[in-house]
Amino acid sequence: MVGEEYRGTKQWSRNKQAVFTVLWISFLCAAVGTMVFFALFDPADIGGAFDEDLTLDRDAGYAAGFFFFWIFSLACSAITAFLVRTAPRRDAAHRDSPD
Amino acid sequence: MTDPQPASMYESAKKIYPREMGGRFADLSKLATVTLLGLFYIVPWLTWDDRQAILFDLPARKFYLIGLTLWPQDFPFLALFLIIAALSLFFFTALAGRLWCGFACPQTVWTEAFIWMEQLTEGTRSQRMKLDKAPWSWNKIRRKGSKQFLWVTFSLWTGFTFVGFFTPIRELGVEFVTFSVGGWTWFWAVFYGFATYGNAGYMREQVCIYMCPYARFQSAMFDKDTLIISYDEKRGDPRGRRKRSVDPKEAGLGDCIDCTLCVQVCPTDIDIRDGLQYECIACAACIDACDSVMDKMNYPRGLVRYTTEHAMQNEQTHVLRPRMMVYGALLMVLIGSLITTMAIRTPIILDVIRDRNSLYRELPGDMIENIYTIKLINQSNNAREFKLSVEGVEGIHLDGIGNTILVDGGSVLSVPVRARVHRDNAFGVMKIDFIAEALDESGHKRVEDSRFLGPTP
Ligand code: SF4
Ligand code: SF4
Repeated sequence: MVGEEYRGTKQWSRNKQAVFTVLWISFLCAAVGTMVFFALFDPADIGGAFDEDLTLDRDAGYAAGFFFFWIFSLACSAITAFLVRTAPRRDAAHRDSPD
Repeated sequence: MTDPQPASMYESAKKIYPREMGGRFADLSKLATVTLLGLFYIVPWLTWDDRQAILFDLPARKFYLIGLTLWPQDFPFLALFLIIAALSLFFFTALAGRLWCGFACPQTVWTEAFIWMEQLTEGTRSQRMKLDKAPWSWNKIRRKGSKQFLWVTFSLWTGFTFVGFFTPIRELGVEFVTFSVGGWTWFWAVFYGFATYGNAGYMREQVCIYMCPYARFQSAMFDKDTLIISYDEKRGDPRGRRKRSVDPKEAGLGDCIDCTLCVQVCPTDIDIRDGLQYECIACAACIDACDSVMDKMNYPRGLVRYTTEHAMQNEQTHVLRPRMMVYGALLMVLIGSLITTMAIRTPIILDVIRDRNSLYRELPGDMIENIYTIKLINQSNNAREFKLSVEGVEGIHLDGIGNTILVDGGSVLSVPVRARVHRDNAFGVMKIDFIAEALDESGHKRVEDSRFLGPTP
């Protein structure tokens, strides 16, 4: 737990930064995506697109849409973060500033 | 000369931890917290015209904003509104820096509320530290337990209120009391409540430092005329400890007594005296801290203060600068167009869907028929009568509906209609217009185009 004994903000480890940033930013993107998507499409109409007999009640439709967007953007940002952070270091001897 | 014996404020300084600094800005931020949270918790309970004044009724796909009802078809308004909101953020950031962060961001506001509950149950920072170090005892359980109780209850109430913006809150309240809340409602209330609990109870300004995109972007909107919180280096340096009786000028010192109080109160643990840093959330705690020291020392306040980079360099601050004028002009145009389009909005929506299953039908008497589904939405709050007609091809007329159609206030009427044209006039694909006209003095009218298919010669 953070914060009981602390003065000022603890330094987060790089992994913690990545996990929470990816979670949070994909959450925000999913929120915007859901909003725009459902402003244009009614979840009650969408069920039929997959299966003619499928009727989705709206509450479930919104939730499903939101989690679809969240998982989608989560995967997208997680993979990006992973690639950025695990890129092989090349030619280390010629790097101008070691970090 | 500096005194080796520190003045009294150095000792007490150790006991001060973030946010226990009272002062002008702390009061202001409390006021902002109370106002904004008050609005959040009260607004869903307000009624207007026998219904919830502000309700984003997702199950019914209608947004009620006081007297206005918005439909999914009004999406352009929402888009325009969001653009305006984003642009306003740019505008205010360029003008006043991170005033938003210090006083209006939900993150700040809820954190403030959670800290208040923490102090209520566990006492001041030093008491809290002692409590944490102490072995488990009845007192510790009681204090920790009541903090968690307050936090969890408050979070749940927050989640409940949040859901109350999307489903009628009064019915929700009844369901809560009678334990008949539906699964999704529970889910969203707990979800939002938990996010509040985590973000405001535990993560706090770490959200600002590590997770907030605005915090990283905002420096791009800053310029030398932006209002920032800054330490007045010219006046403060060289820093040094001294007794109250010592005249700093004689001692060759600036006004900063190097008590580091401004660092100790800083929730993000930065030293404002090192200059503007992106971790600074402009909470103004360091201003309060420094002012209190200046008061004790009998120096003028404002060694740390709201100012601009230009002012710090003894230059003129320009509030009206090109950037502000461009942002301002754009904002005005957008707000103006939002208001005008809202004002001239006709509260009727007409949707025409052509039956996709058939091209056309040939009827006896040399008539060609196309089938459509008409959706007529009456966005006003009262029932109204409409006349539906069609034009665009010679002799085209509708069959299967009466002369007038009645649509209840705020509802949708979906009717199948048949449009007929004599074979001599129907060739290939023709553009036609459906017209819905309100039969009252308003003269409201909506035109929607569609296609009429006839035989290809
Ligand atoms: S940094 Fe971000 S989260 Fe923190 S107060 Fe500012 S806008 Fe809110
Ligand atoms: S430096 Fe910034 S974040 Fe720290 S106390 Fe001052 S205003 Fe608040």
